Amino acid sequence: MIHFNSGACNGCDIEIVALLTPKYDVERFGVKLEPSPRHADVLLVTGPVTNQCAERLKRIYDQMPAPKFVVAIGACACSGGVFDGCCNVVGGVDKIIPVTAYIPGCPPRPESILDGVVKLLNALNPPKPKKQKHVEAAKPEAPKLETAPATVTEDNLVAQ
Amino acid sequence: MPSSIDILNVIESKLGGKVQIQKAHLSTGTIIANNGLHRDVLQAMIDADEKTAITAITGIDLGANLGVYYHFRTSNAFVTIKTELPKESPNIKTIIDLHPGAAFHELEAADLIGLNFEGHPLSRHFVLSENWPKGVYPLRKDVNPSEVKLCPPDPQETVNTPEGGKLVKIIIGPQHPALLEPEKFVVTVEGEIVTNVEPRIGYVHRGIEKAAESRTYLQDVYLVERICGICNSCHACAFVETVEKIMKVDIPPRAKYIRVITLELNRLHSHLLTLGHAGLEIGYETLFQYFWRDREPIMDLIELTSGNRVNSSMMTVGGVRRDIKESDIPTIKTTLETLRGKLPFYKKMYRDEATLRLRMKDVGVLKREDALKLAIVGPTARGSGIDIDVRKDDPYEAYGEIPFKEIIYDSCDTWARMNVRMDEIEESINIVQYALDHLPSGPIKIDLPRSVPEGEAVNRVEAPRGELFYYVRSNGTDMPYRVKVRTPTFANIPAFLATAIGENIADIPSNFVSLDPCFSCTDR
Repeated sequence: MIHFNSGACNGCDIEIVALLTPKYDVERFGVKLEPSPRHADVLLVTGPVTNQCAERLKRIYDQMPAPKFVVAIGACACSGGVFDGCCNVVGGVDKIIPVTAYIPGCPPRPESILDGVVKLLNALNPPKPKKQKHVEAAKPEAPKLETAPATVTEDNLVAQ
Repeated sequence: MPSSIDILNVIESKLGGKVQIQKAHLSTGTIIANNGLHRDVLQAMIDADEKTAITAITGIDLGANLGVYYHFRTSNAFVTIKTELPKESPNIKTIIDLHPGAAFHELEAADLIGLNFEGHPLSRHFVLSENWPKGVYPLRKDVNPSEVKLCPPDPQETVNTPEGGKLVKIIIGPQHPALLEPEKFVVTVEGEIVTNVEPRIGYVHRGIEKAAESRTYLQDVYLVERICGICNSCHACAFVETVEKIMKVDIPPRAKYIRVITLELNRLHSHLLTLGHAGLEIGYETLFQYFWRDREPIMDLIELTSGNRVNSSMMTVGGVRRDIKESDIPTIKTTLETLRGKLPFYKKMYRDEATLRLRMKDVGVLKREDALKLAIVGPTARGSGIDIDVRKDDPYEAYGEIPFKEIIYDSCDTWARMNVRMDEIEESINIVQYALDHLPSGPIKIDLPRSVPEGEAVNRVEAPRGELFYYVRSNGTDMPYRVKVRTPTFANIPAFLATAIGENIADIPSNFVSLDPCFSCTDR
């Protein structure tokens, strides 16, 4: 996976880094942070998308090899959050690139990011019946959770 | 003794009659200096006190005119120089020839409110995005964020390799493995040696200063808290203190102590984060894992006291939102003592470990006089032998009553800056322990009206990265008229340029991390 901050306050970013450290240790699930988008399968995006970052976010997404998945982490990445309507903010990540999973929270706890990542991995595991599966991590104080239904199906897997 | 200088008297004796001096209007004093006299005032201040340094430039839309407020700190005072310019021709002479530290402040004010600093060598977007329309300045009152039409984006960023072949330009960012946050640095190198660095910030610019003007004071507390996910309590505290200053209220003593505890827990987790991150940047990943392992108990303490790991939301106008339970105090104390027990190991590592010494000793030297000229703040300045700490210089909350040491190193290199943070961890533990032992009883909050009376105030807080500055102006409603935030990393960008130029390109990461950069703060 690769992490890109498209305008976040560092809160979610630091929680992602905390995932790699001994207490949470995401590598035991086979998840590794890659330095280059060309080596990554999953793009973790934090923060609302700013005008300056929108083009760069798209370029990073385009550089990733298919199949690829995008996880929006935090309230801002899901919907714009507290920065919705700010003069230099486009909005949530799904305004720029397709998003596979949404993990709300301000910031989401490392456990809920972990939960989201594992749910995403499970959703990708073959064999899978051809039905829609919702991927979302439960978290209180999630703004606009209902507006962010995330789906992963074999169909769009193949399409990617 | 420089600390006995009365800077306002000095200005009065030199420029009395030409400028208008108001004692103790904003912090120590305000000087109204129109028609280019701001330069004379600044020159007089620099001559009288070597520690005169710029804190911020606030541009403010006053209707027909634009106000330019220069905020300066000296060794014992905080002075604001006010100038007004007509909106049609907002031309003002630059001060960067007198005080180079003002360069990025001027660039930012030019970008956001459309001031024209005559004589400034750079004119380009610094904070706003490249596709932002020309001639639209977001902080002016007539600009409505929802009506701004963006220009088509540039197809591709271009790299101009200079002629001659000896110099090579390397772009670091916006997405780069060494950067947690998107910013761009164009580094010019000759062989291995860095000859120039051009910073381009603004990738995380969300327009928070503008957004704060259209939200109520109470909503703004949570908005400014999200300027930065690392030093969130400092932002919230600085903002509510500024509002309390305008309202002229004093908060209950228990609230002051709880604020201090929250701020110090914030500093503890931030310093542990940086010290670990430094390990990652110099290729010493074990150190990173160790520090972050020991940072987790502090995050648990923040959660214990506030209910959330990161954004603690403890501050509110008039006090704090949550009390510290008597039953939680032993847990806090034991956790901190456990951390204290681990410090000697880390200290020995940072002082004596060969890898760290080779990568940090005599690398990224920032001399004291350069740090003063460039208006550097926080642990970066303290690593260059400057005694600057808002907690000591201008005590806020309960810091005046709590004994603690100001950590100063004078070897001026990366090693010194990291060791300042190392020692400050111990001081922070002492402060929290003292505050818990002396926690006064009583209420934690006073109820205040939602509207704030007309007025303005400045305030400074020592964030983990240095002096954090807020200016708030109220027009008597429940929403602020102007909020200006100057964050410590913004003030420390010149330090990165100064330390990187002339050094090896391989030292960029360690120089960079020794300033503890936080760009979500810088861009706002």
